[in-house]
Amino acid sequence: MDTRQTTPLGDDAASQRAKEAYFTASQSQLIWARFKKQRSALVAAWVLIILVVSGVFAPFLSPYDPTVAGRDKDYTNGAPQLPLFCDKNGCSLRPFIHAVERERSLATNFRWVTTINEDERNYLTFLPKGDDYTLLGFIPGDRHLFGVEAGKIHLFGTDEDGQDIFSRTLRAVWTSLQVGTIGVLIAFVLALIIGGVSGYYGGWIDSVIQMVTDAVRTVPAIPLFMAVAAFLPAETSAEARFFYISLILGFIGWPTLARRIRTHLLTERNQEYVLAAQLSGASSAHVIRRHLLPSFTSYIIVDLVISFPYMVLSETALSFIGLGLKDPVSSLGVMLQKATSADVMLNYQWYFIPVFFFIALVMAFVFVGDGLRDAADPYADANK
Amino acid sequence: MLNFARFVGTRAVMALITLVLVSLAVFSLMELVPGDCAERYLAFKNTQGSSIQIANELEAERQRLGLDRPYLERWAGWIVGAFQGEFGDSCILRVNIANLLGDKFWLSLAICLASLVLAYAIAIPVGIIAAASDNAFLNNSLRVVSYLGLAMPNFLLALVIMLFATVWFGETLTGLFSDEYRDAPWSWGKFVDLLQHAWLPIFILGWSATAFALQTVRALMSDEIGKLYVTAASARGVHGRKLLWGYPARHALGPIINSLGFDLNRIFNELPIVALILVMTDAGALLIEALARSNDQQLAGAIIFLLTASIVALNFLTDVLLAALDPRVRKSIVN
Repeated sequence: MDTRQTTPLGDDAASQRAKEAYFTASQSQLIWARFKKQRSALVAAWVLIILVVSGVFAPFLSPYDPTVAGRDKDYTNGAPQLPLFCDKNGCSLRPFIHAVERERSLATNFRWVTTINEDERNYLTFLPKGDDYTLLGFIPGDRHLFGVEAGKIHLFGTDEDGQDIFSRTLRAVWTSLQVGTIGVLIAFVLALIIGGVSGYYGGWIDSVIQMVTDAVRTVPAIPLFMAVAAFLPAETSAEARFFYISLILGFIGWPTLARRIRTHLLTERNQEYVLAAQLSGASSAHVIRRHLLPSFTSYIIVDLVISFPYMVLSETALSFIGLGLKDPVSSLGVMLQKATSADVMLNYQWYFIPVFFFIALVMAFVFVGDGLRDAADPYADANK
Repeated sequence: MLNFARFVGTRAVMALITLVLVSLAVFSLMELVPGDCAERYLAFKNTQGSSIQIANELEAERQRLGLDRPYLERWAGWIVGAFQGEFGDSCILRVNIANLLGDKFWLSLAICLASLVLAYAIAIPVGIIAAASDNAFLNNSLRVVSYLGLAMPNFLLALVIMLFATVWFGETLTGLFSDEYRDAPWSWGKFVDLLQHAWLPIFILGWSATAFALQTVRALMSDEIGKLYVTAASARGVHGRKLLWGYPARHALGPIINSLGFDLNRIFNELPIVALILVMTDAGALLIEALARSNDQQLAGAIIFLLTASIVALNFLTDVLLAALDPRVRKSIVN
């Protein structure tokens, strides 16, 4: 269609153009325009982007390897170290941390005691060489965003093995995103196929599929996850385990979306354009794929965004009870496993720092999903 | 009336079919676990010191347990037993599962149902008020609270509460019973003791359920509140609380009653993990024990089946309740 029609009068040309832009805008442009109006969703979108980017570039942004290989054996269960500009000896433009000393002697009753030496400064360095990593799976590197001149810096403290919690947190965000994405994708494909077939054909096929869907929906997911996860032998490698967990999450997560697609197709399949396509000899798969599902795209995208946090939550819960991911992999559930004892809760509260990142991640997804849902609703303006 | 009976009948058959399907899935899962009951039991016995000739004993044990029979036959046997409340013996503990579960399952169910009741007791009034008022602050803060409820996993909440309890009260809020009542028969004292312990898991499980319910109630209410029949009623002079509860609320609550079963499902989901943290010895903890530690398929299968059966039963009950209230629902299934 030609969108550059000339307007009859000059004075209201601007409003005419605005109207024209509105009526000729594509679906995604309209959604974006409505999405931009919601401040909370926009803020959440920024938080989400920052988290995703810091997850992707975690190896570069974090100073140390998140596994035992990068542990700091002189600073186990160490408190968070915040870079300072000033101390009792004056100020400096370059941030620094105080050096720590670990000592075990008669005076300390033969227990390791960590003391902070306030006279010695360790200045922050930028882009130092450190542990090797591969970014995005193929870019090798050994430069990290920051480090210190001597010793190590732990922004969020360390755990009982001396592993840097900051490094692990960024990795955990990335792990959650990966597991969630794979799970959501599998669930998505299954939902499209099952919901599509069920809704397009209707009749007894629909009844049978709906019965199966209901059965899957009725079984409580976490106990079922647990049953399935118990299959994985203890010696499964971390990567394989990771893959299986995503797979399981995907295979159980499809029913809600499938049901929604089915309901939509049931109402849509009697439309004339479907009949036209059928008369032109299009196959059922073609009609579903090219004609029916695209009319539903925005809802499907919204549903994906909204179901994402649930995947992440399930993964965390599973890992937390020891059936999901295991130690060399950093994920929130794995990290929190160590935080259950009263000793940790009373003395090493920094174990809980990753939780705030995690809540921010889930909240960001929920807010963005909600914003998208409102934006994608074509009747949103009519209701006001 | 006949119509209603037909509806109940159809719905009951559908519930049964769902249960049978679920049982097939659960049974297949149990079968897929590498190694069968006989092997596991003998291996367990071996670690206990009694050295048996594994190869000879294995066949005998398999025969005794009926593991040599074909798959479908065993499944049929299992499901028939399951409907009679008989799940056979546990793979490893070698005690009757029905006896082992006993009260524990009902306790778990009661806790979950209590959380469900708590969630809706809070969510329905608050959600309706929030939908009716145009106070932006109230609405936004409710939104944040309910999102927090969604974003904060229950096990985290449980951990944090335990942390505070230990720091401030010097008391651990774990378990479901005090020591003196743990193995005692049911009595009034034991019941009171249970209530003193059970409020915490009920609160924790109800936390995210409330958040979820709140969102649903509010969304459904705001859909209804703008409709013509509400305007008409208010034009007739009905107003205030009477208007809200008499007109839009009655319509908005239908879908909520309908989805109670799936809400129970969501609460069941969290149960094992919360049970683990609070050291509750109910079915949830038993499930973790069966799956994660001892790999006891018979026990795990029985618990999952019972959980699902309760959800199916609740779904059935709510559908019948709805149909009794709303004739349109009857039509949707019978025809």
